[in-house]
Amino acid sequence: MSTVLPLYRRALGDSWRSLIAWSLGVVAAIGLYVPLFPSIGGNPDVQALLETLPPELVNAIGYDSIGTGSGYVHSTFYGLIGFVLIVIAATSWSTTAIAGDEESGSLELTLAHGVTRTQVVLERTAAVLTRLLWLAVLSMLLVLAFNDSAGLEIEFGNLLAEAAAFLGLATLSASLGLAVGALTGRRAYATSAAAGIAVLGYALNAIANQSADLDWLHSWSPYGWAYAELPLQNGADWPGLALLYGASVALTAVATLALNRRDLSP
Amino acid sequence: MTLALETRALTKRYGRRTALHGIDLAVESGTVFGVIGPNGAGKTTTMRLLLDIIRPTAGTARVLGEDPRSCGAALRRRIGFLPGELRLEGRVTGRALLTHYARISGPVAPGAIDRLAQRLDLDLSRQVRKLSKGNKQKLGIVQAFMHEPALLVLDEPTSGLDPLVQQEFLAMVREARDNGQTVFLSSHVLSEIQQAADTVAILRAGRIITVSDVAALRATALRRVAVTIADATASALRTALARDAHLAELTITEGAGGLSVHGTVEGDIDPFVKAIAGFRVTDLRVEEPDLEESVIGLYAREIGE
Repeated sequence: MSTVLPLYRRALGDSWRSLIAWSLGVVAAIGLYVPLFPSIGGNPDVQALLETLPPELVNAIGYDSIGTGSGYVHSTFYGLIGFVLIVIAATSWSTTAIAGDEESGSLELTLAHGVTRTQVVLERTAAVLTRLLWLAVLSMLLVLAFNDSAGLEIEFGNLLAEAAAFLGLATLSASLGLAVGALTGRRAYATSAAAGIAVLGYALNAIANQSADLDWLHSWSPYGWAYAELPLQNGADWPGLALLYGASVALTAVATLALNRRDLSP
Repeated sequence: MTLALETRALTKRYGRRTALHGIDLAVESGTVFGVIGPNGAGKTTTMRLLLDIIRPTAGTARVLGEDPRSCGAALRRRIGFLPGELRLEGRVTGRALLTHYARISGPVAPGAIDRLAQRLDLDLSRQVRKLSKGNKQKLGIVQAFMHEPALLVLDEPTSGLDPLVQQEFLAMVREARDNGQTVFLSSHVLSEIQQAADTVAILRAGRIITVSDVAALRATALRRVAVTIADATASALRTALARDAHLAELTITEGAGGLSVHGTVEGDIDPFVKAIAGFRVTDLRVEEPDLEESVIGLYAREIGE
């Protein structure tokens, strides 16, 4: 009765409800914000309003370029609401995959069967990434659907680059959540790490936006790796993507080694 | 006789606390081996070491002739494991969960899952999270037995089961043995081990106190007896009971319904029953052999020898 990737399939099968919920979140966020571009981003009154706000605030939340379609979609969705959504999804899924399963006691029973620990880490990582990939693809499809009607004028190649950066950020959080879960077996630690790196990256980036003197901070922020070069306007930032995905691969290797080496907690 | 299971000086330490102090076990193939001991004695630790869920600090274990660490997944396909604290969750049905475990264990014969579920009176169409503790335990038992593994490792298998299902389970254990499978099970209920096992090890504070066959353990088992006698004087009763060498800790008190007699009987119960048979017995209780007392009794004897 053995079939290919049993743990991967089970992980996906167990999580379709939550995947639908997060998909609805993405649909709602894009569906509410993006069609409003003509009346917000392209609206001179809103631009005038933004100019009355403290520039530090506008820079911090990245609303400094919402006059263009790409700037608007980045500032509202990929850089803010979408980022929050996908990072929470990544945190929740990645910390359930190993640490949560271990705390609930079911990882013990799984490992008592004919599977290796490496297989558990890799198949479950793949299942988390598949779900995150779906959210990124869904966001692209929605933005494309509104591209003409909302007058966004976003190029497909740039959208692909932005979605890759968006997915890369989520992948990094998820990989860290999995690695800390595999190292400690504690969901609380894994959650702190996965959500923490996203918050820290965002905060560093917001500080880096404040002045040219602080620009170097961008290179210390995963959020900066993803978005500092504005992929939705300028296309793929290969070094940034390499950092995001490279770190994720390294963390997955750490997760595999860690789970193989330690005792399962009682 | 080949050994299905063998440990040598198997030791597990957590920091400064030692969970297992170098235990040596040898379980012959095709037998039922029971481990009893109070909570925290090391039963679960031993089982988790055999399954490579945790790793020994020192010593070795051979399971079905293989090293659990290096033979990993392939070896575990030949083992059926029931964890002591079985926590099953999820919105999937029992059947879907078992199908999943069948995919990651040894081959399951067609119809095996349904036969086992029917035997234990388990409804496979219900969501796992909605099952009672007893029904989750049944699911765990089906999961352990369904691929007819060469070795069954069952940690407190009857906990949460009602008495009828317990009997059915014990029958399944005997059938597994007759089928050539080896069963390694733990319990803190002595009577359960007595019914199922051929050999029993008593584990206490991480050490094996004794390994004996079940008949020997039964002979040393301590039972508490309490009798109320309506028609005798204390001295007559005392004289009658004095002939029973197995009776100890005798107390006789005057109560409302007559004389209340308490004591412990070690080993053969027959002389005690014969001794009280001449009186009018209005109440009689014989309590389960107390494991802890049996263990202490055995332990004391081992030291005495």
